[in-house]
Amino acid sequence: MSKQQQQTYWRSLNELAKNDEYRKFVDREFPENASELKDGYSRRNFLQIMGASIALAGFAACRKPVQKIVPQTTMPEYSVAGKPLFYATSMPFLGYTTGLLVETNAGRPTKIEGNVEHPSSLGSTNLYQQATILDMYDPDRSRGVKYNGESKSFDEFITTANDSLNAGSNVVFITEANSSLTLNRFKREALAKYPTATWVTYEPFGEENQLLGSQIAFGRKLRVAPDLSQAKVIISLDADFMGTGADNVRNIKSYTKGRKITSTNDEINRLYVAEANYSLTGSNADHRLRIKSSDIKPFVYALAGRLASDLNGLSAFSGYSNAFSQHEWISVLAEEILNNRGTSILMAGADHDADTHAVVAAINVAAENSGKTVKYLELPHTDEANQHDLLKKVVSDMSAGSVDAVIMLGTNPVFTAPVDLNFADALSKVPFSVHLANHFDETSKVSKWHINRAHFLEYWGDGYDFNGVPSVIQPMIQPLFGGKSEIEVLGAIVKGRPINAMDEVRESISPVMGGNTSAQWRTLLHDGLLKGFTFRDASVSLSGGFGSHISASLSNVSVAGDQIELTVKPGATLFDGRFTNNGWLMELPDPITKITWDAVALMSPTTAEALGIRSRKFGDYMYDVVSIESNGRTIEMPSWVLPGHADNAVTITTGFGRNEIGRVADGVGFNAWQVVTTENPLFNRTVSVSKTGQRYEIATTQDHHSMEGRPFVREASIAEYREDPHFAGHMVHVPGPIDDDGQPISLFNEQTFPDHQPQWGMAIDLTSCIGCGVCTIACQAENNIPVIGKREVRRGREMHWIRTDRYFSGDVNGSPQIVHQPIPCMQCELAPCEQVCPVAATTHSEDGLNQMTYNRCIGTRYCANNCPFKVRRFNFFNYPVEYLTKGDDPEVIQMAMNPEVSIRFRGVMEKCTYCVQRISRAKIESKIKTDSRKPADGAVVTACQQACPADAITFGDIRDKNSIVSRTKANERNYLLLEELNIRPRTSYLAKIRNPHEKLV
Amino acid sequence: MSQNLTYIPEPELVKGNHTFGSITRLVGDIVETPAPKWWYIAFAISNALLGLLLAMIAYLFYEGTGIWGLNNPVGWGWAIVNFVWWVGIGHAGTLISAILFLFRQGWRTAINRFAEAMTIFAVMCALIFPGIHVGRIWVIYWVFPLPNQMQMWPNFNSPLLWDVFAVGTYFTVSLLFWYVGLVPDFATLRDRVKSKWGKIAYGVAALGWTGGNRQWQNYEKSYMILAGIATPLVLSVHTIVSFDFAVSIVPGWHTTIFPPYFVAGAVFSGFAMVMTLMLITRKLYGLQDIMTINHIEKMNIIILVTGNIVGFAYIMEFFIAWYGGVEYEKAAFINRAMGPYAWAYWIMFLCNVISPQFFWSKRMRTSIVASFILSIVVNIGMWFERFVITVTSLAQDFLPSSWGYYSPTYVDVLTYVGTFGLFFTFFLLFLRFLPMIAIAEVKMVLPQANPHNYDEDGNEFKKIAEK
Repeated sequence: MSKQQQQTYWRSLNELAKNDEYRKFVDREFPENASELKDGYSRRNFLQIMGASIALAGFAACRKPVQKIVPQTTMPEYSVAGKPLFYATSMPFLGYTTGLLVETNAGRPTKIEGNVEHPSSLGSTNLYQQATILDMYDPDRSRGVKYNGESKSFDEFITTANDSLNAGSNVVFITEANSSLTLNRFKREALAKYPTATWVTYEPFGEENQLLGSQIAFGRKLRVAPDLSQAKVIISLDADFMGTGADNVRNIKSYTKGRKITSTNDEINRLYVAEANYSLTGSNADHRLRIKSSDIKPFVYALAGRLASDLNGLSAFSGYSNAFSQHEWISVLAEEILNNRGTSILMAGADHDADTHAVVAAINVAAENSGKTVKYLELPHTDEANQHDLLKKVVSDMSAGSVDAVIMLGTNPVFTAPVDLNFADALSKVPFSVHLANHFDETSKVSKWHINRAHFLEYWGDGYDFNGVPSVIQPMIQPLFGGKSEIEVLGAIVKGRPINAMDEVRESISPVMGGNTSAQWRTLLHDGLLKGFTFRDASVSLSGGFGSHISASLSNVSVAGDQIELTVKPGATLFDGRFTNNGWLMELPDPITKITWDAVALMSPTTAEALGIRSRKFGDYMYDVVSIESNGRTIEMPSWVLPGHADNAVTITTGFGRNEIGRVADGVGFNAWQVVTTENPLFNRTVSVSKTGQRYEIATTQDHHSMEGRPFVREASIAEYREDPHFAGHMVHVPGPIDDDGQPISLFNEQTFPDHQPQWGMAIDLTSCIGCGVCTIACQAENNIPVIGKREVRRGREMHWIRTDRYFSGDVNGSPQIVHQPIPCMQCELAPCEQVCPVAATTHSEDGLNQMTYNRCIGTRYCANNCPFKVRRFNFFNYPVEYLTKGDDPEVIQMAMNPEVSIRFRGVMEKCTYCVQRISRAKIESKIKTDSRKPADGAVVTACQQACPADAITFGDIRDKNSIVSRTKANERNYLLLEELNIRPRTSYLAKIRNPHEKLV
Repeated sequence: MSQNLTYIPEPELVKGNHTFGSITRLVGDIVETPAPKWWYIAFAISNALLGLLLAMIAYLFYEGTGIWGLNNPVGWGWAIVNFVWWVGIGHAGTLISAILFLFRQGWRTAINRFAEAMTIFAVMCALIFPGIHVGRIWVIYWVFPLPNQMQMWPNFNSPLLWDVFAVGTYFTVSLLFWYVGLVPDFATLRDRVKSKWGKIAYGVAALGWTGGNRQWQNYEKSYMILAGIATPLVLSVHTIVSFDFAVSIVPGWHTTIFPPYFVAGAVFSGFAMVMTLMLITRKLYGLQDIMTINHIEKMNIIILVTGNIVGFAYIMEFFIAWYGGVEYEKAAFINRAMGPYAWAYWIMFLCNVISPQFFWSKRMRTSIVASFILSIVVNIGMWFERFVITVTSLAQDFLPSSWGYYSPTYVDVLTYVGTFGLFFTFFLLFLRFLPMIAIAEVKMVLPQANPHNYDEDGNEFKKIAEK
């Protein structure tokens, strides 16, 4: 991609037209109406209020406002109006990248998909990748460089930096984990330029503990890279590899690959999870053990002790036992590991200490898993020092005033660093501090300089994926608010002048590429990755120091007593807080609790009862607030009773409790970081929890958690399935006489489905579905679904077109199991919604879609009442302009919208369409090319299907007996929801199969 | 044998030895003399409530249906509850005037005008709700089959569309029926009022009525025909309203018992409402001679009968839910009685099934105080019946994941309260400007109107009068 082509990215049609209005918009921080909104009664406001009374006389006030459009007079190259273009890029996160493909419409990126060619995603995405496009269009992003709160230019910053820093300066760099080749090249240059500088990689939920663990086990820092596709037995010790763990797309893909079941002869993997909180991974476990987070370590030691006699290399544990040694799980797991040498894997959560990871690594090596189910990879850019200790040292230096400059690239330590470090105080003592951030956030406020950060869709960059595939980050658009990337900021500091990021990236990657021809570069940009490169798999063996290190630690390991323990976990949707201002993620129900817009203290029913937490009735949304005191620091939060949580333990999640960030983040939830200290980073055995007597309102999308014995999710163990493969179909009886077509008779005229049309249908495999919710975000991005805010969700008006229902089964006070069930519109052939609409706004198409004609809808809501799946969503207010745009900055949010899907106005019903815009595009293409209205199988991929890392969703023409969806539906596990109503859903489910161990049943 | 048989004359329908003239004066004077002070106070309150209604509607139009308490499972809340409740109340008028007319129930004449007026105003209140509850009010006319160049027709499968026709027809016919009955009385007033504008207004409304023989013949025929047309409508309108629920597949709605059950319930609540209004009006205007205790007792008997039909339906619903064996329906009914809305269910049951049982006692039936209290209790119960049907069924239907509790917002409540403003504004205007009792019809049931002028024993009329 040459420099000229870069010109084809523009921020909006207005910019292309370069009119005065647009310049004014760019210059002003808030568009014109914003200031008027704040006045009590401005002229505009007065007219609006008057409008209410005038509305009675004439309804004109209710109609959509008229909007001006600008014609495109000069056509950019490649751009065909109405046709999206796709570019490869990758998203940096936690020190690795994931390959993506970004859809751009008229120069605006509108949708992120996985890059099918890229092994890190294989075409799928996770929540953060799917939702991050909204981060780019966040109107609350910082819009310029600031020095002590005053606007400055980036050039002024470079001048000041050149003046302030010299070779003798004590510079401290604090960055997020970053695999960028260019950034690491600049890092070396920076450390050479400032010899006394310190470089800290601070990532609160990063892999440092795992790296330190491998240092203990193998003598050097190695990345732990699981390959679950090879594993028959997966043992997760508080490792949420499907949820918040690193590289989860690849892990989910490989896990579900080992879980695919097409016939009774198939074998599937078995997942054991031991954890305190009910994680997403735990909810998919075949067996799950509730233990406190701090007991994971003694549990691993007990397991190693049991295995010591049978496996080589664990001699340090011979004869070791603790309270867990007699636990039935230890013997079962030991047996599984011994019976599945080379095909089992033990994983531990990233927040557990280095010793735990060292022991896990030792067991994996001893069980011959290394190089097979788990690889230990040599990283090109590793910091040798213990980064936890380094951060502590650096902060104490800062407090002591011995640091001349702190340069923070993209991290937010004032918010996330352990509170006892008092990072903000230390930072305020540094004469020259620079913070590169998306928002003018907690750290920016304390720093002298704030530089607005570019989103990765706006800058040039590079990086390695988790397994070391070099990938390129190419911009989809010019930085919306003129932001800078970490490469540009560090490059400018190192070189003393602005750099050209593209040239630098090209320079960094050319040695890896083995050349720098424009053909190579173009191929790289086109593919988004360099094929055939990965990190070297270190052939590991236990280091000599391991045994002695472990022997020394044995006596320090103890099993927790009955005292209440606190665990801090990354928020399932907001992570450490970097996604807090993302409305889609904020409103996505937590996969387990189904809470939106809030942080809660999770605890088991038994613990809640002991604390005197009130049991709630259906329809009561007020929750008892508890006060948690840890290391002398107190946090008050609403309690949440989570069946399956470990007893005498409380889990809280990070990401909430931010202020002055933006419209979504501000004032939502409670900040869990305020109880995180260096001594007890992510769990603390001795906390005290008490009820405060206050109550707090929580918005959840699911208020009832039992299936009430109704056969919605049908499941069986693999043994039961082999005995009766048709068990799912046998669970309901369809009454009534049968018609000629083999279907029950219907009162209404049945829709005819002509042969020249494809007949769309969907199958969702509940054995694959892990319940992560990425389908919901993908749908939201594809179909312009609005964010509605906590108040509206609390009132039960969530807008998601596809939701994931979560039910508990089993003993509430014991270890209940969880099932997930995604529910989109079922596109019933005899749709009850269609029969009752008085104006025929919802009708059936010839290709079997239950269509919703927004323009015709008058909003009686009768269809929603009559929908047995409750998938129809009503625009009670003018949601598209209410939450994210707030009237102040509509243009930025409008740019994020998919132009192929209309925005629904107030008073209109909406629902899943099977992504009709994608169907139509494929049908048109097929009609032009082959004169057939039937696109080839696989040509239409719905947004949910495309994003799903578990490949649980198949979609296609059900008339074509050879299509993937037809073959999937032919599986004996296939069943229809509410089949007995004779509504004939086109979406069917494949029953869930579990693989329990006979000794633990 | 024969000596044991004694003739018990029908109780007199009008008490107090009224003559034709005194009846005219009794009713006509209300219109012709200045309104009493209480009327102005009541009218001011009603107007304030009407203003509240309009303000709530304006707010609704400006903001959208989100200001109500509706949510995802519960797409219909107070608006539809109020609609069904008001339509139900609107049943009594036509039933009294048309069906009782066809059955030659002379006692209806004391209350028919009054009840018909109530019907019309109640239906007006009802019609507001389907009009305003839609999301896009400005295109509400799409429910009518209006020819258009896109050839877009409404969906004739939809019960909501049937509703539009059923309630619309009912309103039109009720209005016509009421007006036709008013014509002779308009003429009476035209001949009596002193004011010029009054003469013109009543004169125009009277359509040139002179009371000629030919006019009476045509009048009686048309009245009979309209009664014939109105009679099936009484049954059809609430049947079709019930189809809104019964035709759907929601457990708790999808029930074949709904049409008769809704009609009985409507008559039940309609009579209760007539009772409430009548007891106040007869006291305030001194009409005890015309609206006698016999009328009250007869109406209480109807309330008792329909109340028992409704109670039977409640129990039968449970029986069928169990007998039918549909899991979801069973759960819906168990939830009604024991679930989160059990309080509403038991209020309904107490008000509608238990409270009318007092009317087995003649003392209660003929007690003004008891009748007044129970008539209000019945209407509270009937409101809750609609609430229970509409809301509880939606709140907990098939997928437990989607269950959601519904609670109204203040706008829901104030809109409902506001409809009373609309109702009473019109009702008070009716009391003030129209003859609230069918003067001509009451005269027909006076003994003097009996053309034979003899009783069954051959005694002259005068002698009976003297007795």
